[in-house]
Amino acid sequence: MKPTRLLLPLALLSCALAQHTSNWAVLVSTSRFWFNYRHLANVLSMYRTVKRLGIPDSQIILMLSDDIACNPRNAFPGTVYNNADRALDLYGDNIEVDYRGYEVTVENFIRLLTDRVEPDTPRSKRLLTDDRSNIFIYMTGHGGNEFLKFQDAEEISAFDIADAFEQMWEKKRYHEMLFMIDTCQANTMYSKFYSPNILATGSSKLDESSYSHHADNDVGVAVIDRYTYYNLEFLENNVQTASSKDTMKDLFDSYDMEKIHSTPGVRTDLFRRDLKDVLITDFFGNVQNVEVDGEDGSWQEEILELSRLAINFTMPRRNGGCKSAGQEEKTGPAVRNVGAVRVEEKEGWSKNAMGVGALLACGIAWVAGSTLL
Amino acid sequence: MRLPSPLRPAGSLLCLLSLAAAALAVGPGKHSSYAENLLLKTLPGNSVLASFRFVSNGTFDNHHSIFPRSLAQILHASRTKELHLKFTLGRWDASQWGSQIWDGRTAGGTGVELWAWVEASSDAEANARWTTLNNALSGLFCASLNFIDSTRTIRPVMSFQPDGHHSDDALARLHLLHGTLPREPVCTENLTPFLKLLPCKGKAGISSLLDGHKLFDAQWQSMSIDVTPVCEGEGEGEGETERCQLQMVQTVDMVLDVERSLRKKDSVIPKPPPIEHMACDPDKFYAGGDSCFPLDHVSDLPWSLSGMFGRPIRGSCPLARVPGVEPVHVCASVPDERPIFASAGGQERRQGDNLRCFVLEENQDFDIILPLQSPPLPLPLTAPPLHASRSFTGHGQEHGGVQAVLHNPSLDRAVDFVYLESLPWFMKPYLHTFSAALTDAPPTHPKIVQEIYYRPALDRRRGTQLEVRMRVPPNATAIVTYDFAKAVLRYTEYPPDANRGFDIAPAIISVLSRENDGSYRTTFSVRTTSLLLSLPTPDFSMPYNVIILTSTVMALAFGSIFNLLVRRLVGAHETGGLGLLGRVRERVAEVVARLGRRGKEKVL
Repeated sequence: MKPTRLLLPLALLSCALAQHTSNWAVLVSTSRFWFNYRHLANVLSMYRTVKRLGIPDSQIILMLSDDIACNPRNAFPGTVYNNADRALDLYGDNIEVDYRGYEVTVENFIRLLTDRVEPDTPRSKRLLTDDRSNIFIYMTGHGGNEFLKFQDAEEISAFDIADAFEQMWEKKRYHEMLFMIDTCQANTMYSKFYSPNILATGSSKLDESSYSHHADNDVGVAVIDRYTYYNLEFLENNVQTASSKDTMKDLFDSYDMEKIHSTPGVRTDLFRRDLKDVLITDFFGNVQNVEVDGEDGSWQEEILELSRLAINFTMPRRNGGCKSAGQEEKTGPAVRNVGAVRVEEKEGWSKNAMGVGALLACGIAWVAGSTLL
Repeated sequence: MRLPSPLRPAGSLLCLLSLAAAALAVGPGKHSSYAENLLLKTLPGNSVLASFRFVSNGTFDNHHSIFPRSLAQILHASRTKELHLKFTLGRWDASQWGSQIWDGRTAGGTGVELWAWVEASSDAEANARWTTLNNALSGLFCASLNFIDSTRTIRPVMSFQPDGHHSDDALARLHLLHGTLPREPVCTENLTPFLKLLPCKGKAGISSLLDGHKLFDAQWQSMSIDVTPVCEGEGEGEGETERCQLQMVQTVDMVLDVERSLRKKDSVIPKPPPIEHMACDPDKFYAGGDSCFPLDHVSDLPWSLSGMFGRPIRGSCPLARVPGVEPVHVCASVPDERPIFASAGGQERRQGDNLRCFVLEENQDFDIILPLQSPPLPLPLTAPPLHASRSFTGHGQEHGGVQAVLHNPSLDRAVDFVYLESLPWFMKPYLHTFSAALTDAPPTHPKIVQEIYYRPALDRRRGTQLEVRMRVPPNATAIVTYDFAKAVLRYTEYPPDANRGFDIAPAIISVLSRENDGSYRTTFSVRTTSLLLSLPTPDFSMPYNVIILTSTVMALAFGSIFNLLVRRLVGAHETGGLGLLGRVRERVAEVVARLGRRGKEKVL
């Protein structure tokens, strides 16, 4: 144990350079209504990509703001396509949506990022990251100068996100972050960031719209946005496996204004590493470096301890001792207070007589009062 | 209290009898066990009902149990003893398809419906555990079950009875809570976790047919999970020796339109067929030439499992095995006269009238094919004990009314049932306007309402619960009506798509049968459709306009009044000498100006 303690500062030093031990993705579509099909297709395309490159469902927080796949207007129930050739069904057979419909709100999004959630929130709805986690955040919807509309009802501002990220940094909730956003005037959304280790990219600069790529006539609406389409094209063609050595620089260099029809932006001033050294799979894939320390056989104890932790974490109620809780319950009798009360209809003249009496008394009092005065 | 098994066949359908018997065989035992079967039934109008049923038994503690651990942990943490969770989409058309499958006990109302018996010593504790349960299930099933809060929770008194085995002692401590989300969409993300609970995970056995693309294309579909405790030694004295297990019955029922399912292969977007291929009604006066009134259902279309579901059954699930009982995997309830061709992967067992069953082999695909049948050959329909429909009456933004029509189709038997409404707080019924009467009853007819339980709504804290026990005589129609007021919501309480309206949960009708001890038990369930209530909805941009305009007016008014009040207007000649401050300021300005001039000179 002691030698490992001595090695600890060394290990920390190495991790400060470039190490992450888990990959997470937060994928948010913020638009409601059928005609915003493309925003859900955007986000589901990214979902498929990160899943393809190995991030498991348990580490993907998928926020879908409306039900598009099973929408009555959808001629293809249970499917979402991002291309008119309809070769790939993004919804597929295996999908886990963590926040959906009305749950996609600014409040829930910020609570998710900062992990200030209700005590009963299930694990699948939490971003359980630490200071060694790389997070990929992708957002799409309708936006404007320094805001992004949520659900046609509210909006998040660039300052809100910047502050949420700062809080995440203070709480050691990320190691590095890639923020990607596809909306109109998207680049304004990351202009207010001030926390370290954030790499940000957006689809269009101030006063520029972000455009859809093409429509599918059978679906009846546009199916994907241009910026996301060309990002995907690069990822599909170049990053075919999680062992790909393509870097973020390659991705950003592939952006072509002619194709995207807007000016994609990249913000690197907060990011410490050179983009040439940042693999795409650092954010899109599930690739980590494993450190092994303390090779003195104590790992078995540690694994035991870990499993104990895991049990306590998944079942907090067990922690206090299942037996005592059970015994406590066996005591006190059940206090029952049924909400609904039986309604009885009373027949007879007594109630009527009482009512008439009350009315008469009022009348007499009024007459008496007016004559006496 | 010993209650009959939840799988007791209460219906009269022969096919159900046999299936339920197979399921019943999966009784409690030392080990966990699992059985699955699929019932296919042809319905009138070229529809096919496919009912998947998966029964697994297990315990909390067993690590190798077939009972899914993820669900067991949730039940344990929230002290839930019995759980019923339903995801339903569409409407069961009883007039066309007859009595609902499994006596309507497995399907819920449109959207998501959840009820559970939670062990707790007080109401507050029960509510807390209910919240825990809802949140945990929302994570497991990717549904917004966490939206079932106090305003959507009711505690029915008469409608539901526990299906599992609970001791009298335990029953006294159980709290029944019920919540509905009529607006909740049901989609693939709900099916994915559903399949993951199965031991074969949809990879083998009948569950390999389950595919979101087909399931959510159905005319009516329902996914349900019922977890009940099942104890051994039924009928004997309760001792510590009895072994209790959890039984989970997962059901997926769907009504597929044969024509629609088969058409999808060629073209997704429906196009009318050329007139030569249409069967026209020659009795119409305009028949002939280029006019055609298409005839419905001139024949039963041919179909196969692989055609309808996109793939055949991939062998049997090796875990679906009950010792001592030959498993029956697939049954087809099809008229005996209609041939069924089965592929090699299964052996046919003929069971009773209009029912053929198949036993599947492992690792071998199985498919059945039904050829074209002309003229159509329908199965005899069973009428449900009660037909129910519900609608809104009235007009305007302030008041409204609800009318439910309940028809007893039986010619010789009165029907007892409980009509349960769970209304949101912003729909406020007036109980004094409640009336339930037969449409054509003689004045001497006894009242049909037997008992009413009512819990009034509290604004923003709880909804209305209305539970009415009624008795409708044979071949009679009862009409239930009541009026309600619409509340005006706060600006922030409207959902993002407020103009769509607010979904009102389906009414739940539980048909009762009287037990020997005088108590009632639910034998059949009917749900009405959900309703869409439109509330007075503001123009949501209006507040901004008002705020902006008001602020402008305020600023103008305040500015000018403030100006008048504070500013003193004086003529230039009226000003005296400058004050001390003024003189100092003047001197400083002079010095600065001189320095500036000197600096410039230097530069030059």
